[in-house]
Amino acid sequence: MKILTVCSTGLGSSFMTQLNIDKVLKELGVTGVETDHRDLGSVSPGDADVIFVGRDIADAAKDLGDVVVLDSLIDMKEIKEKLIEALKRHGVAVPGEEQA
Amino acid sequence: MLDKYFPEGTVLYRDDVADWQEAVDVVTAPLVKLGRIRTSYVDAIKESIRKPGGTYIDLGQGIALAHSRPEAGVVATSLSVLKVGRPFLLADSPDHPISTMFCLAAQDSDSHLSLMQSLAAFLSDAGNQDRLGKVSNAEELKTILKEER
Repeated sequence: MKILTVCSTGLGSSFMTQLNIDKVLKELGVTGVETDHRDLGSVSPGDADVIFVGRDIADAAKDLGDVVVLDSLIDMKEIKEKLIEALKRHGVAVPGEEQA
Repeated sequence: MLDKYFPEGTVLYRDDVADWQEAVDVVTAPLVKLGRIRTSYVDAIKESIRKPGGTYIDLGQGIALAHSRPEAGVVATSLSVLKVGRPFLLADSPDHPISTMFCLAAQDSDSHLSLMQSLAAFLSDAGNQDRLGKVSNAEELKTILKEER
């Protein structure tokens, strides 16, 4: 499974979101998920199974596939909740969910 | 630990600013003075914020990460930060009140990995978010950035 985080420049907000997602994946003991950060202009539908974006570019990203919109890019609780939902939606086992 | 990415004179506090443009000017000024970024980078940040969706640099919790592309005028990878006593509205949008604005100057897409790891770890910590919100002078801000959490 591949997760992309996307913002307009592809190196600030999206990178931070990717690092926060990586941290949650590690906490949850989830393996086999590839993550990367990109700028909006370089992403095409099908590039990833799930795409995480901030609320401000939700409209611009809506046709890219399974898009998850975050209200905050640094709220680990929100990231964890929405990440677990996305993983389950794509049939990925979440070993650490009980502790989440 | 995060403080090592802030050159001397780049941790700032103001009681208030007139608007988001002034906040961008204030937070970028020391980096321009130190030759870490060119004025073209400041212009690029403002242009990016003005664009539709430009408020995506609002990370949440009143914290914004002002940045643009390296080629817009970054000379050396670095950070600066401005805390304001009274929040300002990013892009004049009531949905985006900001009280802490970081400026990220990244020389290229990859070299700032360790910086971003430190910054992400720092900013995603709810305790640090609270502490940032309560800061009322530059010394307090420096102390928070120095402490490893």
